[in-house]
Amino acid sequence: MSKDISRRKFLKYVGATALSAGSLSATKVFGQAKKTIPTTPVKIAAVSFLTGAAAAPFGIPGYNTFAMCADMINKEGGILGRKIELLSKDEAGGVDAQVKLCRKLALEDKVDVILGYISSANCQAILPLADELGELIIAYDCGTHELMEGKTSPYKVPMFKLGFRSKAHLGIDNIGMALFIKKYYPKIKTIAGINPDYAWGRESWQVFEVAMKKLMPQVQVVKTLWPPLGNTDYTAHISALMGAKPDIVHSSLWGGDAVTYTKQAMGMGFFKNIRMAYSRGEPYPQEVGKDFPEEQIVCCAGTHYFLFIPKDKASADLQKWFVAEYHKRNGKYPTYPCYHAYQAIYAYKYAVEKAAKAVGGWPTIDEISKALVGITFPTPSGPLTIREDHNAIEDCLVGITKLTPKYPFPILDPKRLEVYPASQVNAPVGIKTVDWINSWK
Amino acid sequence: MWVVYTLNGLYFAALLFLISLGLNIILGVMGILNLAHGSLYAIGAFIAAWVIIAIGMKVPAFFLYVTLLSGLVLAGIVGFLMEKSLIRFMYKRTLEYQLLLTFGALMLLEDVIKMIWGGQAYYASAPFDFLGKVDISGHVYPIYFLFVMVVALMAGLSIWLFMSKTKVGIMLRAISLDREMATGLGLDINRLSTFAFVLGSGLAGLAGALVVPTTPALLGFGHDPLILGFIVVVVGGLGSLKGALVGALLVGFTRSFGIAILPEIELPLLFLIAGIILVVKPEGLFGR
Repeated sequence: MSKDISRRKFLKYVGATALSAGSLSATKVFGQAKKTIPTTPVKIAAVSFLTGAAAAPFGIPGYNTFAMCADMINKEGGILGRKIELLSKDEAGGVDAQVKLCRKLALEDKVDVILGYISSANCQAILPLADELGELIIAYDCGTHELMEGKTSPYKVPMFKLGFRSKAHLGIDNIGMALFIKKYYPKIKTIAGINPDYAWGRESWQVFEVAMKKLMPQVQVVKTLWPPLGNTDYTAHISALMGAKPDIVHSSLWGGDAVTYTKQAMGMGFFKNIRMAYSRGEPYPQEVGKDFPEEQIVCCAGTHYFLFIPKDKASADLQKWFVAEYHKRNGKYPTYPCYHAYQAIYAYKYAVEKAAKAVGGWPTIDEISKALVGITFPTPSGPLTIREDHNAIEDCLVGITKLTPKYPFPILDPKRLEVYPASQVNAPVGIKTVDWINSWK
Repeated sequence: MWVVYTLNGLYFAALLFLISLGLNIILGVMGILNLAHGSLYAIGAFIAAWVIIAIGMKVPAFFLYVTLLSGLVLAGIVGFLMEKSLIRFMYKRTLEYQLLLTFGALMLLEDVIKMIWGGQAYYASAPFDFLGKVDISGHVYPIYFLFVMVVALMAGLSIWLFMSKTKVGIMLRAISLDREMATGLGLDINRLSTFAFVLGSGLAGLAGALVVPTTPALLGFGHDPLILGFIVVVVGGLGSLKGALVGALLVGFTRSFGIAILPEIELPLLFLIAGIILVVKPEGLFGR
């Protein structure tokens, strides 16, 4: 890594950026107080998979980051002087269990905010509860673009008054990859897809296929496979894909499924003639190690990549601190769920501080919700904006794997990296992603 | 690609055969429908992964493959404890009690796995990576998959020889044919039942251990194999070794060729086969 940033310097930047985002220190708020600031800790529930298939690749890295950020915020003095009390909860158990847990967190534990959810199914069940329970809920990692989109364009925003998502949806990955393929592989003739057989996989393929048809209409789809989630034997899928002879195979397989598929495909000589395009592939080179094949297309679910340096200085300095601190604590480089967790907890912090500036004292949930709309703040992967549809938008980084002597796994080749700006990969407010792509000239 | 489709079918069938073989022995000899069979498979996977990760490549390669037997041993021990503490009280009970009890055991074992190994995934691909690849008719194929097929074949042959040539095996078959008559002839039913349960559990653990170099072990690892094992038993017939083999091959090949030709019906395909068999031949292809 490049040289470490000192803690003092880091705090200076965080302080400066917080102020630029419209925040005030706790002391200043006390001075103008119309309301009071409670002396009790601010209770933040962090719901993330701690067991099951999504725990190792997403849930635990997410949890580690929530804990790391809460520690950092507490060291700085908390949010408006209130220390964070982090309640870590497991997202496993299915939708019904999560609905019960959410009600308990809101009604019994009386948490100030719920940050969480990796599963799209859980997000779709939980976010509507925000308004019913009068609880602020910020979804931190789930990807479905259907979560906050209406049935037809234009649709009314926001979908939920107190429900937010502090990251961009899966549209950016799949649009970004289609743009990347058009630029780097303009001569391809055929594509195929292997995606898990549920909403995430189906929607990822839908957006990618629509974008490819628009950008490269000459390209034919020769095979689409839908293995079940948690599949342990991909041999039949791999040989079916090899038999179809596509130039590029799109995949939104994740976690253990992505690793299993890649390892088995390596064993079957798949990568000799076919290139993979992993819509959320960023964690897997690190997971598989030096054997992970080179020359594969990998998307980073935003610009969440440990070697990416954002253009703005505040974000770039945060990135240096974030990567170094995460690696020090966990022995690994942060992956995209870590960045998503950072975004969620700091979105809340900055929104509270912004709202406090306007109202004096600790703001109500409605006031924090209003403050979240339109907020822009620096993050380790660049500035993040939450729009009036309560969904964040992000730039998207796509690259190609390349083994270098410096790391024990392939990194993204710095000479073939593309960062697509948020405006190029996110549909405008109120317009469905697929409708927007279809309207491209 | 037909060679590879065939090999894939054989590989999947080999795993299914090992899973359903244990299920079939327990069902055939003891009349117990063991819903915790998938958990024993998962225990085999976790212990094998744990051992492989612990020893890594510090030992000669041969021992790396011997460690896969840890799955058989630990699942066998757990099976022994289960039979002694839970299952033996169910022999004279109706099927509903068995289902409730073994489902309870499934939940219990899931929690035990969570308690011991936590929620994270265990990657232990050293045995898979070490064997490398082989060229078969111009197609690259992992040698480890061929190794699994050989192990399944050897396990099947051993069980067949054991059941048909040894005294204990013949006694087990006698119990499976007529439990009351076997009791009347003075066979030690309790001891033989324990043996059958341990053997079936061990085979489940071996299957889990063989899979883990190709895919990470994680919580819930045994759910799908349990369902697949039941499909094979339904297709092949209850308590039949031949049925387990033919059922596994039928399911394995249908899946492999089905995904290549009609990928849209991947999920319902296996259930479709089981459904057709249940309608046409409810006792299974080789069931009694």
